[in-house]
Amino acid sequence: MLLGRMKSAAAPIRDVLKDLHTRLVANYEGRIADYIPELATASPDSFGIALCTTDGQVVEYGDYKTSFTIQSVSKPFMFGLAIGDHGLDHVLSKVGVEPTGEAFNSIVLDEVSNRPYNPMVNSGAIATADLVKGKDYPERVKRMLEMFSRYCGREVFVDNTVFMSERMTGHRNRAMAHLMRNFDMMSEKFEEALELYFQQCSILVNAHDLSVMGATLANGGLNPLTKIRAIESENVKYLLSIMMSCGMYDYAGEWAFRVGIPAKSGVAGGIVAVVPGVLGIGLYSPLLDIKGNSVRGVKACQELSQKFSLHAFESSAAASKILELFSFKKR
Amino acid sequence: MAKIISTHSFRGGTGKSNTTANLATLIAKAGYRVGVIDTDIQSPGIHVVFQFDQKKAKYALNDYLWGRCSIHDAAYDITEQCIGNVVPGALRPRLYIIPSSLNSGEIARILREGYDVAKLNDGLQELISTLDLDYLLIDTHPGVNEETLLSIAISDVLVLILRPDNQDFQGTAVTVELARRLDIPELLVVVNKVPEGVDENLIIEQVENGYQAEVAVMLPLNNEMSRLGSCGLFTNQYPNHPFTQGLKTLAERIIKSQK
Repeated sequence: MLLGRMKSAAAPIRDVLKDLHTRLVANYEGRIADYIPELATASPDSFGIALCTTDGQVVEYGDYKTSFTIQSVSKPFMFGLAIGDHGLDHVLSKVGVEPTGEAFNSIVLDEVSNRPYNPMVNSGAIATADLVKGKDYPERVKRMLEMFSRYCGREVFVDNTVFMSERMTGHRNRAMAHLMRNFDMMSEKFEEALELYFQQCSILVNAHDLSVMGATLANGGLNPLTKIRAIESENVKYLLSIMMSCGMYDYAGEWAFRVGIPAKSGVAGGIVAVVPGVLGIGLYSPLLDIKGNSVRGVKACQELSQKFSLHAFESSAAASKILELFSFKKR
Repeated sequence: MAKIISTHSFRGGTGKSNTTANLATLIAKAGYRVGVIDTDIQSPGIHVVFQFDQKKAKYALNDYLWGRCSIHDAAYDITEQCIGNVVPGALRPRLYIIPSSLNSGEIARILREGYDVAKLNDGLQELISTLDLDYLLIDTHPGVNEETLLSIAISDVLVLILRPDNQDFQGTAVTVELARRLDIPELLVVVNKVPEGVDENLIIEQVENGYQAEVAVMLPLNNEMSRLGSCGLFTNQYPNHPFTQGLKTLAERIIKSQK
């Protein structure tokens, strides 16, 4: 691992990230989320980029160590945990996989099935949290934290202040849970599911963690740094599909069209993006556009995708361009 | 394009800093812009060989690593004192030193908190660019740590110094293996402190068979070096000494080597 770190530190891709960071950090478009009071304390200057390859090289630049709450970036991973606990068919009986075209916090369900449209909107994520197994609530929280720890390659914790803030102000989420309970789409433990959902959103991560989480998915579910399996390989495709179609709030369609990389963003300013078989990208910048995505993060992904032909439907040999720059020999 | 040369030894006391400082001076004297950076942050010392007064230095490498200054701010022009007779304002030759701090608090902080090696790499690249260097010599910490591996990873030439000593011989094998795994373009072995009367061919055979690496030069153990006690540049004081001649051979070899 030490050799890998040294190669990463000297790799030419670092110059690419440095250049990208230098240009984009000067962009102060967007605003910091304030619907949860604790999120409003983030610094608009913060901007971190991290790339982690499936062979465990990590190249980072800027504020990649700055902690923030994972928020909605947690949603595909929880979807994966639910699939692992119950199998795909059961999970799909509780939550759909269709993009909504509505805001992430819309109180809207599929009129025919009464399911939330997908696990990337709040209602779908709450329904997903309801599916996480455990003999009691503490065990469910423990299993959730263990799952995120496997992805990150380190033990993760909940920011209690943000959790309390989420809980105090989460009336809209509570309304969704009640609505779904009304349609029998959630268990009688739906209050617990809400608590679990608030906890999952309040987990502290940084851009480095997100890149490793992305690389774990890119690597078929095996964390490339720890070699610990975070999710069964046959379930990875479900997470990536949902990230591709619904991961970027109601910018998801345009994202899939322009960037073409499965990704998920969160309102704290994090984005995780996955280039299957190649690498994970972790980004953090709390200035958000009107759709709720990190302005600098979106621009960085767009540039990386374009520069290195990372779009899923790129006709040229995807990724080989970027992997060449991970070799420190090519200075 | 500048050439990066790391000098490394697996154990301390091999004469690494003396070799680096004198080698840098000889390369600069050949008409080049040369930088010498002391990345032995835990036990800095190359400034002593250059007789560079740390009190005159506002910033050191440590300050750059903690974000207190640019790497350029920590570079000091020592051309006059080490080479002399340089045409005023001439771009070449030039010799710069980037010292590490001797402040015990700074050293303790590095040991306690570590530092971002990627930032060190950025600094090295920036240094080459802002000082327009032809050669950057990196004086590393003995043994194997993150900074050593980074220096090896980015080097065009790795100069490995060892004494004809069994502990050195075995330890150096570790560095050779790491250098191979990091695909170093050129590996030059320097056997230093070779006592008079030993069979040099036997040592060369032992090293070349053991490491599959070429012995670039053998430098003699000498009393003059001991008497100098690192207080100045040996090659300036003993220009005709076999040690100086050996280093000149090494300097020429490095200058002529292809990337």
